[in-house]
Amino acid sequence: MASESRPSGNKHFMVPADISDRDIYEAMKDIPGYLDITPGDLKEVFHFAYQHAVERISGAVKARDIMTAEVHTVLQDTPLKEVANLMADRRISGVPVLAADKTVIGIISERDFLSRMGAPDGMHIMSIIAECMKGKGCLAAPIRQTTAGDIMTSPAVTVTEEMPLFRIMELFAEKGINRVPVVDSLNVLTGIISRTNIIRAPVPRGGTVSGS
Amino acid sequence: MKAYFEKMKGTTQSPPRVSMSEIMWSWLGAFLGIGFIAYVNANIFEKIDLLMIIGSFGASAVLIYGAIKSPLAQPRNLLGGHILSAVVGVASYQLFHAHLWFASAIAVATAIAVMHATKTLHPPGGATALIAVIGGEKIHSLGYLYAIMPAGGGALIMLVIALLVNNVPKNRKYPEFWA
Repeated sequence: MASESRPSGNKHFMVPADISDRDIYEAMKDIPGYLDITPGDLKEVFHFAYQHAVERISGAVKARDIMTAEVHTVLQDTPLKEVANLMADRRISGVPVLAADKTVIGIISERDFLSRMGAPDGMHIMSIIAECMKGKGCLAAPIRQTTAGDIMTSPAVTVTEEMPLFRIMELFAEKGINRVPVVDSLNVLTGIISRTNIIRAPVPRGGTVSGS
Repeated sequence: MKAYFEKMKGTTQSPPRVSMSEIMWSWLGAFLGIGFIAYVNANIFEKIDLLMIIGSFGASAVLIYGAIKSPLAQPRNLLGGHILSAVVGVASYQLFHAHLWFASAIAVATAIAVMHATKTLHPPGGATALIAVIGGEKIHSLGYLYAIMPAGGGALIMLVIALLVNNVPKNRKYPEFWA
């Protein structure tokens, strides 16, 4: 999934409230008496209130609540072949690279493999396949002898267990990443959050948080 | 520059028209409120050289009988706005009466600032401050009493009538808040 389209740096994560001028006007008619506010201002108030609600609700959900605690990891000197096998077997698109003391020193994603195989950054997996089909041989040949430490992205972007969900979503969009290791105050790995974790996060649209 | 003039076109529409019953209750409240203080003013206060009614109460009536949900129409704003603006107006007149235009400007501008700062913004307060300056000999002779009667006292009676009238219909209530 290294090639999935990345959201354009949307700084403020916000679910747009789909409310029309007509809705506001009708709502004002529902309330008896003269409301000393224009429909335009009321709509603006509604939008800000909605944004605050989204932040409050998604702020109540923290990294700890949505992370996967059981993380597949590799060490700095793990051969790349093993890394690739692990990712293939577990059907995961990225693994954190740990030091001996379990602190996170980097992360390896499909993208790191692709870029080391001669593909320019952001290149699609299909272009690698296309190259193979041209009969040029395996593009992975040059990196057979290397280890995790050689291709990892370091330092890795990490979050703490306390980070609210909406901040994590902003981070994903801002950095164009698909997963982020969760660490404690000593940078020791405690979990990982992928886009899948976020999609499954208990944040109902326009409701309350249903358990965490 | 274009954006500056674009802003003058407006962006939204006028709020909906109120119901007929809202119109009737607004009318009744204003009639009773203004009627009461005008009657007392004419039949009692004038005889003892005092005032109970000033022009700005007409504007207050619009708010406290006609737009009762407005933050500007709440008791805190009604009383605070009139009393504070009256003090500002009297002070402005007494300090700057040699230049009435200046006293007028400083009275209204300062009244707005004071009302904002004290969360008592009430548009008729601006008129109360202005009347203290340009309201004539009778107003001037009251001195700071102007803040208590007519400004404070008249507003208080209008408030009592607003509380009595505005809470009669089932779908009307007043005030929204006190403090």
